[in-house]
Amino acid sequence: MTQIAMPIVVTLLAVVFAVAMQRIGPQTGATWPQRAPFLGGGQPETHAWQRFHVRYYPMTLLFIAFEMEMMFMYPWAVVYVETGLTALAEMGMFLGILSVGILYGWREGVFRWQ
Amino acid sequence: MIVATLALLLALPPLIWAAAMFDRIGTGRGAIVMGPIRNGAALMLRPNTETEAPDRLNRLLAPGWYLALALVGLSVVPLAPGIVATDLSTGLVLWGACEALTVVVVFLHGWSPNAPLPLIGAYRYVAIGLPAMLLSMFVLIGAALPAESLSVVEVVEAQRGLWNVVRQPLGLPLFMALGLAITLRGPFDYADGAELAGGTSAEESGPALALWQFARASMLVAFSAMAAAAFLGGHLGPVLPGPVWLLLKTLAVMAATVAAGRFFARMPPARMLTFLWVVLLPLSFVSLALVGVEVLE
Amino acid sequence: MTLLSALARRAEIPVFAVIGTRGLGLAESLRRRPGLRLVDSPRHARVLLVAGAVDGAQKQALERLHAQLPAPRGTVWWQAEPLFARGEVVTGDDPMPAIRAAASADDPDQRPDVPPHPWQGIGPHGHGGRGMMGGNPYGRPMAMTADDIRDGLALDAYSARFGPFLPMLPPGLALDLTLQGDVIVSADVASAPFEQGPQGDAPDLCAARMLRLMGIGPIAARARGALLALPQGSGMRRRLAAWLRGEQVSETPDPLPAALPGLEWAEAVLWLASFPPSRLRAACMERHAA
Repeated sequence: MTQIAMPIVVTLLAVVFAVAMQRIGPQTGATWPQRAPFLGGGQPETHAWQRFHVRYYPMTLLFIAFEMEMMFMYPWAVVYVETGLTALAEMGMFLGILSVGILYGWREGVFRWQ
Repeated sequence: MIVATLALLLALPPLIWAAAMFDRIGTGRGAIVMGPIRNGAALMLRPNTETEAPDRLNRLLAPGWYLALALVGLSVVPLAPGIVATDLSTGLVLWGACEALTVVVVFLHGWSPNAPLPLIGAYRYVAIGLPAMLLSMFVLIGAALPAESLSVVEVVEAQRGLWNVVRQPLGLPLFMALGLAITLRGPFDYADGAELAGGTSAEESGPALALWQFARASMLVAFSAMAAAAFLGGHLGPVLPGPVWLLLKTLAVMAATVAAGRFFARMPPARMLTFLWVVLLPLSFVSLALVGVEVLE
Repeated sequence: MTLLSALARRAEIPVFAVIGTRGLGLAESLRRRPGLRLVDSPRHARVLLVAGAVDGAQKQALERLHAQLPAPRGTVWWQAEPLFARGEVVTGDDPMPAIRAAASADDPDQRPDVPPHPWQGIGPHGHGGRGMMGGNPYGRPMAMTADDIRDGLALDAYSARFGPFLPMLPPGLALDLTLQGDVIVSADVASAPFEQGPQGDAPDLCAARMLRLMGIGPIAARARGALLALPQGSGMRRRLAAWLRGEQVSETPDPLPAALPGLEWAEAVLWLASFPPSRLRAACMERHAA
């Protein structure tokens, strides 16, 4: 518990500091033309918030595969030297299979903007 | 623990100032030492901008979260033998969490003003931030292998014989890619780049903008300290006391990161995405495999 | 507070430059000027600098931009006819004294303080309309779905006028764009880039503009790595290489409404920056004449 005390304390400090600094300055009510989004003098027809076309969605699926792999990697790193060659071979196989995934994804255009 | 935290909090503002100075060197603008302070003061006296129907809470908090992540990341770095703010046996995992949450915070910063250029910056950044984070965790796992521990203290101790930068030559350059990404810099600045007129910061003014820049500079300090600990032996070194070594190494990594940010051109995002997955990520696997073989010898 | 003000007094003045006819060279000459800093967004600026004449047709756009500088703000008209009765007028070569004077000015908004569409109090919750999607909450409608040109998914399309004073587009170019995500699905030229004269086509100036969009300076570009960062096959590499060698480029782009759709934002911006302003203007004018 005491180990994570400091992260919590510094997080609170940082957030309080940032909020205070933003609240100190002059607080003026903005007019409608001041609040319009910056488009170099142009105007939007609609609000910017939208069902945004995220063009890299297939990549995020590949990302999840690697993210899960990362979870296994943390304990693996600790016992690696003890376990020796077996650990190397196992993780080599795991990474090898995932790398084939990267190659397949590349061929399928996963890294392009869809 | 408390001593280390206070030392970090005291050391951070001067280091942020140093980061701002590095950013001015070579721009031909002069006033390298006082310029950042004066510009920061001028920004603090300007008003914040209101936008049309913004997400006020997230807009207010985003710079604070960014700063908090930098501080938490920094707190796992040991300053000297036995002096570390957060002595976790899983310090590297905590650092990894800070990296991951940076992507979320930058996204919120771009999302909250409800304006087109910040929104595009936010979504683009996520695409690049995710694989950059994977990359960094592979090289950090490489740094953890010889230490047989995920504690940053142990990672530094394991470098008494030989620094990781020599044992794992690919590690530091690959980790630097992450540094550029989480500090929104140069080739990885897909959030705040010039082709979006400042991207996620395009609608920010006054104190909110000053704080965002402040948090961005503190993230550079945190990244540099982490890189110094994981690859350059942290506080280890002859003659001088440990904290001085850590400071010198941190400054060196900061300067190198700023220089790299100026030297490499930014690609269109889809091109960078392919480059990250097809070139840099496999390189990090190779790096890890080489480390694995080297450790078993 | 007094310490802050004392420090702030000697700060660089953040200036947002609106570039008009033959203003590109003027604005570029200020980049390395001590005492001021050219910024990318009016939100970051204290002073609005209009460099070169701006057409009366752009008056509203200029007023909208002027309003987006946080108050207090000042205006400088440098070799430009003022379009509204505020700010300092400079006819000579040095705008610095006028910028300093404008940095303590406090211009009021030039636009009336009304939402883009009326909304307040309309509808059962005062949200501006009827039903789930109707109305104008906070003065604007929400985006609606449309089919996409790449993957055919029907997600929201965002339509807006971009420009004529967006810093990443050629000065004066105003585009009516529809975006899906960050990909342009349709484009129309609302106004052509301003005339910049032969000075605007100078290779070092064109290269610097393009490199700035890529986040590096001309010194780093000499290592040639910058060219590899550009997409292949669109001639951008060839044109940037020519500029870096100090040669003029005289290629004319295809008409923008045909060339821009299908490009991602970053690609489109780089593609536009890879043509000299005079050729880009010619391509847009032809279209207008036809």
